[in-house]
Amino acid sequence: MADEHDDKVARDIAPPSPGRRQFLKGVGIAGAGAAVADQLLLRPHEQAVAAEPPQTLSAATTEVTLQINNQKRKAMVEPRTTLLNAMRNHVEPPVTGPKLVCDQGTCGACTVLLDGKPVYSCLVLAVDAMNKPVTTVEGLGTPDKMNAVQAAFVEKDALMCGFCTPGFVTTISAYLKKNPNPSLDEVREACKGNFCRCGTYPKVFEAALAAAKGTGRNGARAELMNHREAAESEA
Amino acid sequence: MQEPVKKKKIKVTRAVNGVEQEVEIEVDDVAGPEWGPNDKHAILNKHITRVDAPLKACGIAEYSYDKRLPGMLYGRILRSPHAHARVTRLDISAAEKIPGVRAIVIVPGEKVVEGAKKASEEADKKNPTEVGGKDIKPEREPGKVVRFEGEPVAAVAATTPEIAKDAIRAIRVEYEKLPHVVKAEEAVKPDAPKVLAEGNIEPRSKRGDQAKTTAAFAECDAVVEADYRTPIIHHSSLETHGIVVDYRGGDSATIYASTQGTFTIPDESAKELGLAQSKVTAIVEHMGGGFGSKFGIGVEGKLACMLAKQVKAPVKMMLTREDEFLMAGNRSGSWQTLKIGAKKDGTIIAFHAAQRALGGLGRGSQAGQPYSPYAGKIANAYNEIVAVKTNEDASRAMRAPGHPQASFAIESIIDELAYKIGMDPLEFRIKNLKDEVYHRQLNRAAKEIGWERRNRTPGAGSGPRKRGMGCAVGTWGGGGNKECVVDVTIARDGAVTVAVGSQDLGTGTRTYTRAIVAEEFGLQVKDIVERIGDSRLGKANASGGSTTAASLAPSVKDAAYNARNMMAERVAPLLGVKAADVTFANGKVAGGGKSLTWKQACVALPSAGLAARGQWRPNLQATGVHGACFAEVEVDVETGFVQPIKMVQVQDVGLPLNRLALESQINGGMIQSLGMALWEGRVTDNQLGVMLNPGFGDYKMPGTLEMPEMIALIDDGDTRPAVIGVGESAIIPSLGAVVNAVHNACGVRVRELPITPDKILMGLYTEARTA
Repeated sequence: MADEHDDKVARDIAPPSPGRRQFLKGVGIAGAGAAVADQLLLRPHEQAVAAEPPQTLSAATTEVTLQINNQKRKAMVEPRTTLLNAMRNHVEPPVTGPKLVCDQGTCGACTVLLDGKPVYSCLVLAVDAMNKPVTTVEGLGTPDKMNAVQAAFVEKDALMCGFCTPGFVTTISAYLKKNPNPSLDEVREACKGNFCRCGTYPKVFEAALAAAKGTGRNGARAELMNHREAAESEA
Repeated sequence: MQEPVKKKKIKVTRAVNGVEQEVEIEVDDVAGPEWGPNDKHAILNKHITRVDAPLKACGIAEYSYDKRLPGMLYGRILRSPHAHARVTRLDISAAEKIPGVRAIVIVPGEKVVEGAKKASEEADKKNPTEVGGKDIKPEREPGKVVRFEGEPVAAVAATTPEIAKDAIRAIRVEYEKLPHVVKAEEAVKPDAPKVLAEGNIEPRSKRGDQAKTTAAFAECDAVVEADYRTPIIHHSSLETHGIVVDYRGGDSATIYASTQGTFTIPDESAKELGLAQSKVTAIVEHMGGGFGSKFGIGVEGKLACMLAKQVKAPVKMMLTREDEFLMAGNRSGSWQTLKIGAKKDGTIIAFHAAQRALGGLGRGSQAGQPYSPYAGKIANAYNEIVAVKTNEDASRAMRAPGHPQASFAIESIIDELAYKIGMDPLEFRIKNLKDEVYHRQLNRAAKEIGWERRNRTPGAGSGPRKRGMGCAVGTWGGGGNKECVVDVTIARDGAVTVAVGSQDLGTGTRTYTRAIVAEEFGLQVKDIVERIGDSRLGKANASGGSTTAASLAPSVKDAAYNARNMMAERVAPLLGVKAADVTFANGKVAGGGKSLTWKQACVALPSAGLAARGQWRPNLQATGVHGACFAEVEVDVETGFVQPIKMVQVQDVGLPLNRLALESQINGGMIQSLGMALWEGRVTDNQLGVMLNPGFGDYKMPGTLEMPEMIALIDDGDTRPAVIGVGESAIIPSLGAVVNAVHNACGVRVRELPITPDKILMGLYTEARTA
């Protein structure tokens, strides 16, 4: 055995029980918070033990298969590992569009679509995301083929340092599917769970409305705080 | 014989912390680049979309936080939970045993105390230091005195962030608690616990004639005296502080840093790693905000280097959000006692200020009163500034250090005085502001917001929701320095590259760097490639004091100008004209009635292409900007809730390099300032000595629901054909404008920020009782 100590801890805390990992895999620990997950220790993953010395606490890792941007991605994670950290730190190559900023579900920089719905990936456990499609900002478009929201963010200068941008783009892209022609107030409401520190909000709203179907010429556009036009007419 | 180069004297303004001085310097009197009139550019002074925006919008811009290297370990810091304590025992034995923990370092302490040393030596004997087959001997520094909650005590590196967190929790530290103080009002008391041996009050400066000023108040028809307070504010950059140290043994290392100064990294890292500075490269590809807090590698960077050096493996040390609040600096708070007096006609004749900068263990930043826009016109003025120390993390520079605090206080008291005399606050300001640029900007913004709709009497109007308006002004330097070396290369295939080690904080550096070169060559922004954020490239200054644009843009322009002249020499024979007659416009190189495409022209270049270097040109930059902000708010007098309705800010900037990015920067200034006015602030508990809101859940930042309508106006009345930085200028005046608008709306003058509903309700209650 590569590490006696490791094995001992694993035995002490999580007596061998073939069903345990199966249980977690099958039922998942949906609903269990990270605090609960912290207490759960799994048996060492057989392959990992065989291949290399265990590197983690009691080797309490399990293999998860995540479906990120239509690709199957495997990673060895602990039960407490969040979806965000699994993507950023455990899958290879990393998926780093979603950012770790507040780590407490307040800022929205880690927003991804899980089963098409926007979620804070810092509040979702990786094991809970198995078998559900995950879409990150990278999956929404590429610089050569941006989606309407990404293109509008570029056009309207809805970003400065850009660290909040993946979250905003993801949130708004999901919202516009639900409501293709929103008002300014609906846009504000839709992204109230996203923070920007540089102060891009007015241009984020502008970009969201421009990206929305049917706007850019009417309706919500008129409601828009368009400083550029104001500035030019004044000048 | 070579003739000596003729010299000419030019005046440039230099700014130190926003206070400008005009100095005469001598420069070579040779033909050089000029921007030309501001309204004659093809690309500059227009709306240019950011060149890095597609990468950022698609989530593929790689920040330091996104770096993941083979074999990389994750660092984490153990912080002191106490505001003031002595470490008596530090036991890392349990942490060392956790599989996956590769290194532990103890933060060096200040003092070794006998008893603590003994306890630690005993602990040493007991604890094995062998981990994972490697011999790790952490240095022990018992007796360390921690002076603020959040002070780093130890750091670990582990194979996953989860394990690093476990390791931090497994380190046992025993503290002997010492007396602390975290409130300025307590710290100034004679019997307060001493934060530093020298005492809690550090005198900083005194200016003016106190006796004459005191006497002048007797001549005043109206006098206002009050205390104004602002809390400690947190930068809250979304990308936390931190670095990734790529060191695997050997004699070189690469550092990926979230920093405002590419060139502030190699030296400090090299020292920690024990390498030659030239062997350490710093990379700053993209960075997620700094706002003044990110210079050098910081304690987190030092710890990362110590860990990497120990294990000879890459270490990523990005602070957690809580670390960020507790140990990564802050904007100092302020407590200003002001007294102002004026004649009936509105002339201010006396001004007395006692200002306290509240920078925790640091000296804090505090612009002197009367704040510079008002300084010239007040006959009798005196101010003294002291720093009041508390057991809190030392302040750092934050966007216009000390200016928003000063602006808020003076704009508040001037408003109070205007109402006391019975003058319109706008008229009163215009009367007391010497510089006519302010008159122009105030009048323009007043028109834009509709100043004539304001409440003539504060708090007037029926119904629970009352609207009001306020205004304020600001100033900043924004000039540059001779610090940037820029290289422009043109390849024979037509590719153009501009390279400089500078960094883009989200301010648009990449974009204007390209745009300046494109403009010079008559090309488009997309035709140029920029390389920045690499310490192997030409030297550049750190981004502080709004000096980046005014330092970098002239150097870029100079490099492009030199490259263009070299290119003209090469192409002239093809066109059959003199080099001076070759023109570059619309993607064409032309002369003598002939015209070549850019690519055709580049064929005239030698096979190695051509390379030109640029230096700073003082005539291409200037310093000294103004700025005026107006705000309209709605106050619900039943709940005390304030909703911002509209904000207008006018900003002069000399030559606006990119109007689109500039508008964004002005918006950003208004929004951060609005946050300080209404929501943000560190909340501490004096008994426990701890911060109560170290997270985004409790530290209230502006969000989408709070946003008013925002109008960012560029003052094109400023026709100086010169680049000036305005990142900092943009954050100054909004604070005063919002505070004055709240008063105008509901009649309550809140003198301690942020204006939370309880303060409004208490103000209304007090007013009702005294009425």
